[in-house]
Amino acid sequence: MSHRKKNRHVGVVGIGETKFSSHREDVNQPEMIFEAVKEALDDCGLGMDDIECVVHGNMELFEMVHQPDLWHSMGALMYGKDEIRLTTGGTTGGTLAAAGDYLVASGMYDIVLAIGFEKLQEGHTTGGITNMADPLWFRKLQSGALTGSTAYDMIEEFGEERAKNAAMSYRIIMDEHACLNPNSHRAFGLNWDQADELKENSPRLVGDLRLIHMCSQSDGACAVIFASEERAKKMKKKPVWIRDHITAHREETFNVFGNAPESAPVAKTQRFCAEQLFKRNGIDDPVEYFDVFEMYDPSSWWGSDWLRDFLLLEGDEALKLIEDKEIAIGGKLPVCPSGGVISANPIGATALVRFAEAAKQVRGDAGPHQIPTPVNHALASSFGGTMWTVLFMLEKELGWEGA
Amino acid sequence: MGNRVAICAMAQIKNEPDIWYQRMQGMLRECIKPVLDDTGATYDLDKGIRNILTCSDDVFDARTISDNGVTDAVGAHFRGEEKVAQESINGFGYAMSMILSGHDDVVLYVGHAKESQTESRQMCTNLAFDPFYNRPVGLDFQNANAFQAREYMEKSGVTDEHLAEVVVRSRENAAKNPYARNNDKVTAKDVMNSAMLSDPVRELHQYPVTDWAYAFILCCEERAQEFCKNPVWLTGYGSCMDSYFLGDKDLTSNFSMKKASAKAAKMAGIKDIKKEVGLFELSDAVAYQLPMWAEGIGIADEGKGGKWIEDGGPGKMNVNTSGGMLNGNPLLLSGAARVAECYLQLKGEAGNRQVDGVKKALAHGTTGACGQHQGVVILEK
Amino acid sequence: MSEEFGVKVEEIFNTMEERFRAEGAKGVDASFGYDIAGKGKWKLTIKDNKMNLEQTDDLSGCACTTIADADTFVGINIGKVDGTSAFTSGKFKVDGDIGMLGKTAKMFRKFVAPVQEMSVREYLVDMFATVEARFKPEAAADMDVIIVIDIQDEDGSAWSVAIKDKTCKVSDGIVGTPTVTLEISKSKDWVDLTLGKTDAQTLMAAGAGSVKGDLPTAMKWGELFEKYVDPMGGKDAEQELIVLKKTISVNNRFATGPVMGKFFNQLKKKKILANKCASCGRLQLPPREICAECRCDVDEFVEVGPKGELRLMETVFYGSPDPLTGEARETPYGAINVLLDGCKGNETMWHFLRMDQLDKVTMGRNEKKGTRLRPVWKEKRQGDVFDILYFEIDE
Repeated sequence: MSHRKKNRHVGVVGIGETKFSSHREDVNQPEMIFEAVKEALDDCGLGMDDIECVVHGNMELFEMVHQPDLWHSMGALMYGKDEIRLTTGGTTGGTLAAAGDYLVASGMYDIVLAIGFEKLQEGHTTGGITNMADPLWFRKLQSGALTGSTAYDMIEEFGEERAKNAAMSYRIIMDEHACLNPNSHRAFGLNWDQADELKENSPRLVGDLRLIHMCSQSDGACAVIFASEERAKKMKKKPVWIRDHITAHREETFNVFGNAPESAPVAKTQRFCAEQLFKRNGIDDPVEYFDVFEMYDPSSWWGSDWLRDFLLLEGDEALKLIEDKEIAIGGKLPVCPSGGVISANPIGATALVRFAEAAKQVRGDAGPHQIPTPVNHALASSFGGTMWTVLFMLEKELGWEGA
Repeated sequence: MGNRVAICAMAQIKNEPDIWYQRMQGMLRECIKPVLDDTGATYDLDKGIRNILTCSDDVFDARTISDNGVTDAVGAHFRGEEKVAQESINGFGYAMSMILSGHDDVVLYVGHAKESQTESRQMCTNLAFDPFYNRPVGLDFQNANAFQAREYMEKSGVTDEHLAEVVVRSRENAAKNPYARNNDKVTAKDVMNSAMLSDPVRELHQYPVTDWAYAFILCCEERAQEFCKNPVWLTGYGSCMDSYFLGDKDLTSNFSMKKASAKAAKMAGIKDIKKEVGLFELSDAVAYQLPMWAEGIGIADEGKGGKWIEDGGPGKMNVNTSGGMLNGNPLLLSGAARVAECYLQLKGEAGNRQVDGVKKALAHGTTGACGQHQGVVILEK
Repeated sequence: MSEEFGVKVEEIFNTMEERFRAEGAKGVDASFGYDIAGKGKWKLTIKDNKMNLEQTDDLSGCACTTIADADTFVGINIGKVDGTSAFTSGKFKVDGDIGMLGKTAKMFRKFVAPVQEMSVREYLVDMFATVEARFKPEAAADMDVIIVIDIQDEDGSAWSVAIKDKTCKVSDGIVGTPTVTLEISKSKDWVDLTLGKTDAQTLMAAGAGSVKGDLPTAMKWGELFEKYVDPMGGKDAEQELIVLKKTISVNNRFATGPVMGKFFNQLKKKKILANKCASCGRLQLPPREICAECRCDVDEFVEVGPKGELRLMETVFYGSPDPLTGEARETPYGAINVLLDGCKGNETMWHFLRMDQLDKVTMGRNEKKGTRLRPVWKEKRQGDVFDILYFEIDE
């Protein structure tokens, strides 16, 4: 591998999240952002003056504000600071975390603040998503981000009952986690007795994708503060180290339907990212290696399906993890102890929230949804665009280069 | 690891009023193929481009995730792609961090925009203002800049005549630039007779509607020689955000310009911009911004913008040999056009615009109204 | 009675008539059922911009029926329960056409729970009943007075407040010889005065009250008693949140470029073109400037179809409304991926199936072939995805 070593280490030292909800009419956008920013600053004890560069992102066609960083400058503490705005659809939060990593690792800045946010109730979410499609062709065919094709493939592969049960188990486990997370938008308090009823009676959206499987549309903001190794080690809380990350996009047209994935596999960015990232970091067995996985799971069908790809598993290995509840807090590899995207999806922030929640787990102070066993190695993913992925590895201790 | 990043190749299409015959993907391909050919760079995961940086804008493209349509065109299928949704000058700073961090050795940086696609630039920039107070009043970048123009002109003794000179010079320089938008040459009288858009900004003071695209290949110092013989170096980047409400600030203070240029200079090890930098490309969306940004970076004395023009400052300091943004670059892409000109000048490939003996150049871009956000990049031979 | 919110289900229905907005009912000719557990069933009929509501067990003929328990129904109506969450978790269900339910949202002004209020008389009585308890002996010094408050409208009465030896006694009517009499025309003014909503000078200036007798004694009134506490909580109206609604639409003129342009021109002639990558041979439909996998330009065009085989159909039950027009595609509809003749991999064409054929088609997968389909062309084509109206079974 001819790529160079990382210039210097970067620690996550401050994290702030607003409560996610569909009714934040009590704040305007800069106010909402400030809530998260303040929490992040309080978290690490830094002040406005310590921030050197701010990176900001969301999907502006949802709120229909052009260059929103200009208006948000006060709430986001940008006055007098360097500032860069990055947007990559649903993966924006992941790109923001990557930016925090680059900007500090490069030596250009010692302290960077990353802010992701969205206020979906101020816009038309499905309209915004449909506008992502090519204006001459796909925009007239597309309707939001809904598809039943994953459910169809899983049912074909595993049988209707097993597939539907797995998707519903995934859903209920995510809801159980959400009930522990005070910031969740939706925590229904589903119990296992409801599984059969919901499986069959939850209103259908597309094919076997039902309302119960699908993520929420939320308002919220997330702020994360990154620091160089030297500065990070001086903070009151132990920093969480960013080991590596990778981004993979794919073309806008789909060209993926018509053949069973098991027999005619179509390359997926989820698996590609996992393969590349783990190979270059010497990880052979991700299920063994990682202690937690905050996956960007916009629906329980996708969550169930991508588990296999992210963990480089085959056949029904990932399904078994769900069936045996190994993905629940207390299991072998807890997935989304925060409740995941199904429980809260403020799109521009969501991917950053996955990263932040994974970091909190490593730090040990996530709150009621903290995994009770030590978390040394964390994995966090982002999703967006036309099946794009960003994948992060976070570590509790430095010194992995020797590994 | 070093602290400078190589620009190994650059390609651009011509700035035009209306590229109706091509869509974004096609425009980009025309820029990307040449830079790949020039450098021999591939998308090989080990040795080649594995991360691509783009610059475009959702509102002007009328497309959520404006980079979504060009993924295949930029080669980002199963490669990384990140988008700067802001003035393209900042993409250079960001790409520097991608490379200096060690994450990526070589980065393809592209951008596209078509101002001609939208029915009104003003309707788009009106959306940059908050929906409660400023938007309903009808503020957009054009009329907001007019406030700044008025205050600045009074403070710095800049007159309608001075502005006319700026426009005339811009057109003359652009006529020597094969990639500049084709505009009619104008006389000072033409400029001063042109209609008022927003007093004191006249029609000919404002940059015209333009479509454009560009591509750069940037590389770490360790491997630059693999891709080109004589790279041009990015040695400094700084940016700065000012406050938002127009009434909160002194519109003539150049607060963010001063800070951004100071930060860029510091990173590049420059102590005195005026003495050490030989060429300047400033994003003058409106004519008054040329002397104003010049004051901000310190090549014109503060409060003396008018005199600076009268004394032939722009010519003497080699400012905007390309014709500047004033001749026509899309909003958000001017920074890249400024870097492109600095690059060509430092490489000695600026044709009959060539200034000899330039070792360091400064490129600038501005986002928002009244220069709320400024970005500055320093380049060296 | 909805215990959680203090509002009766019946109140929601009883106020529908007064909250009705005829302009929101334009174009609607349907009935909507409501089945509220433990409370009853209602049928709302909308026709000719008018509404008719009846409580009835017969909900036949309703386009859709909302089924919920009382708390959820009331909660959603007063904005205390998030409708989407309740719906997703099954706390409220809809039988029938969900799309129709959305139409009722525009037909009624929001239900506002009436604030419980005390009458003016009730306030007056309570205020005087608490005078003795609120008396501040230390403020009375060596006062020996009788203050009469005579409120002269029909809600009012007279009260005598005797203060002597640092004690206070209140009697109904005029008892003893008043040191001073405060004559107040309207009860409401005294109530407002005591609640701090107005002041004595304002009342006097307005001629709403007059003082007969020893003015200095009257002026001491405010200092002699603790502030009256409003039993209704007396909280200020919650901050009114301002919401601005605006539809933003900016016209754009999109270029096709030569590749899409050629595709559309041929579509006008009922020809479907894909383009073929010289390097890997894969086809793309619609054609693209570049093959994403090979990262090379694609110049070769190939005519495909127009008929093909159904590979995947997504039955869409939820049609999202167009943000500009509010119109939604009729559901369920079939979004199809058709592998046109000449294509061989996954390069399917995305379009729609004829509405009445959704249950008559089978999907292909791997070697298994799906139903053969053919496009139905529009009469006047203009180079647009809907030059093909839809695909139908090729019989």
